[in-house]
Amino acid sequence: MLKIENLHAEIDGKEILKGLSLEVNAGEVHAIMGPNGAGKSTLGYVLGGRPGYEVTAGSVTFAGKDLLDMEADERAAAGLFLGFQYPVEIPGISNVQFLREALNAQRKARGEGPVSGADFLKLARSQADLLGMNQEMLKRPVNVGFSGGEKKRNEMVQMGILGPKFAILDETDSGLDIDALKAVGEGINRIMRAPDKAVLLITHYQRLLDYVQPDKVHVLADGRIVKSGGPELAVDLEREGYAEVAA
Amino acid sequence: MSEVLDLPTTRQEGWRWADMATLEAAATSAPASPAIDPKTLFLDTLDGPRLTFIDGIFEPAHSRPGPVQVTAIGEATEHPLGRRAAGEGWLLSLDKGAAVPGIQIVHVGSGGENHVPARIELGEDATASVTETFAGSGWANRLTQIVLARGSRLMRSVRLLQTDGFVSIRDEATVAQAASLVSVFLGAGGMGSRIDGEIRLAGEGAYGEMGGALLTRGSQKQEAAVVLRHAEPDGTSRQVWRAVAADMSTASLAARAEVARDAQRTDGEQSLRGLLLNRSATVNLKPELEIFADDVKCAHGATVGELDERALFYLQSRGLPPARARALLTHAFVGDALDRIGEEAVREAFAADADTWLEEAL
Ligand SMILES: Nc1ncnc2c1ncn2[C@@H]1O[C@H](COP(=O)(O)OP(=O)(O)OP(=O)(O)O)[C@@H](O)[C@H]1O
Ligand SMILES: [Mg+2]
Repeated sequence: MLKIENLHAEIDGKEILKGLSLEVNAGEVHAIMGPNGAGKSTLGYVLGGRPGYEVTAGSVTFAGKDLLDMEADERAAAGLFLGFQYPVEIPGISNVQFLREALNAQRKARGEGPVSGADFLKLARSQADLLGMNQEMLKRPVNVGFSGGEKKRNEMVQMGILGPKFAILDETDSGLDIDALKAVGEGINRIMRAPDKAVLLITHYQRLLDYVQPDKVHVLADGRIVKSGGPELAVDLEREGYAEVAA
Repeated sequence: MSEVLDLPTTRQEGWRWADMATLEAAATSAPASPAIDPKTLFLDTLDGPRLTFIDGIFEPAHSRPGPVQVTAIGEATEHPLGRRAAGEGWLLSLDKGAAVPGIQIVHVGSGGENHVPARIELGEDATASVTETFAGSGWANRLTQIVLARGSRLMRSVRLLQTDGFVSIRDEATVAQAASLVSVFLGAGGMGSRIDGEIRLAGEGAYGEMGGALLTRGSQKQEAAVVLRHAEPDGTSRQVWRAVAADMSTASLAARAEVARDAQRTDGEQSLRGLLLNRSATVNLKPELEIFADDVKCAHGATVGELDERALFYLQSRGLPPARARALLTHAFVGDALDRIGEEAVREAFAADADTWLEEAL
């Protein structure tokens, strides 16, 4: 479903990804772990198409298409979702307005008709309920004044509404309390566990992986995948640290 | 021509950002027959009094003035542009406790200069709301004098939608004890403009607000130059202005708040923010506070920036095309100022005008 080959990318002339290769098949969940500053979020941004992140070599194919050739909004319409490590606050635009426009923009790009206001509200409410997010928060400006954990929950509500094929979730588990972690873990399984979908989970901790069982675990260090393995790799990492395991 | 017009020059303090060249060109442009049907400029959802002025002349056919009188307005002002607006104009004079919502005044210009004075006098506890719309071309010059008696309330919304030419507005307001004046301006046409105003909070607990949004593009210049004076204790004032400039245009905001020695416990807020849609555009901000009382709360801020790149990417990553993402963020930016409009129908109309502008500019 997603195939990354020898990806090199730089920010402001500084090379951050240094020949990263990774393949995720439909139906799979992969976890990426790695030390701070290794380039995990950079990988997410490069896949999401953030301006300023320049790909200098390598290729990424997504569902048979050249992902790097698409604008960020085209990638979203093609089914890619990026859950942000630090979701952005946007004053003056309500969650519902933003998400309804986003959903309809995606649908339009795919040649589908718009979702009506009433249908959209039903969808948004049910997703908020499933993730234990207060209905009131749907009406509030996007992420403004949300706590760290509320922002992460909101990312999952957005994922539920937009229904992507492939999700890159960048530390969606950090900042969550125990109940929220469970709700988010279950949310990921419910929304993304399907034969035609796949997930790339960026995380520092085993605990999210207790809820969302990964098929593969990778260690990203200094801009490359330095080690890959099964779910047991995450356990080893947590016990022994990156220096030991990825050496 | 200048000897006839005797206009302020940009060498004078307080006029340095004024686009006098566009004003003079508009004043000497030849009047043509107006191509705009004034009917289209009224908001259907408001069923209050309506007045139409075509090239500054009252047009009864498109009006139903109700309690608004069309009459000679005599009051003098020292203001160099405002004092030109003498002669026949409109007068809203309400007795104690009267209420007239939904007044609409439409000004259509076809070229050349036109001047209309106006006066709004609200008796104790009276309330009114007045929405004015400027369309067409030429130089439209207006003087509006506002006297609010104790406990009265006026909501004033003005939108400048002229295709070209120039609109100059001069407001002079006195707000008595516990009275309230809220004025919101939107400059979303292709004309040059100067919104010039002075509000004096002359009674205890008076409320005064003057703010709005100027949207400029091409080589256009618009400016607001306003002063809010707190003369008595316990007054509240708000000056929330937003400027959005695209292309080679210039939007300028000069806002001043003065707090006299006696105006203790004044609560003032001044927020001037500019948004540059292109690096070649200019936003000038001149925030000023002059405070002589010691027990006051005056929040103020003045910033100019570009659209937040992180926010743009966040919206785009959810599927919004870049132009739409820019429009949404700019709309939200302008919303801070337009949200102050009290009547929903007017607020929505102004927001729609801003959106139309955004769609064309982005
Ligand atoms: N705009 C930038 N200019 C220069 N360097 C940058 C910029 N943005 C990020 N970097 C650098 O890129 C490297 C990778 O950052 P990235 O955010 O991808 O790390 P990460 O693996 O997600 O770390 P963490 O676990 O702390 O979230 C870091 O060294 C960071 O300082
Ligand atoms: Mg990171």
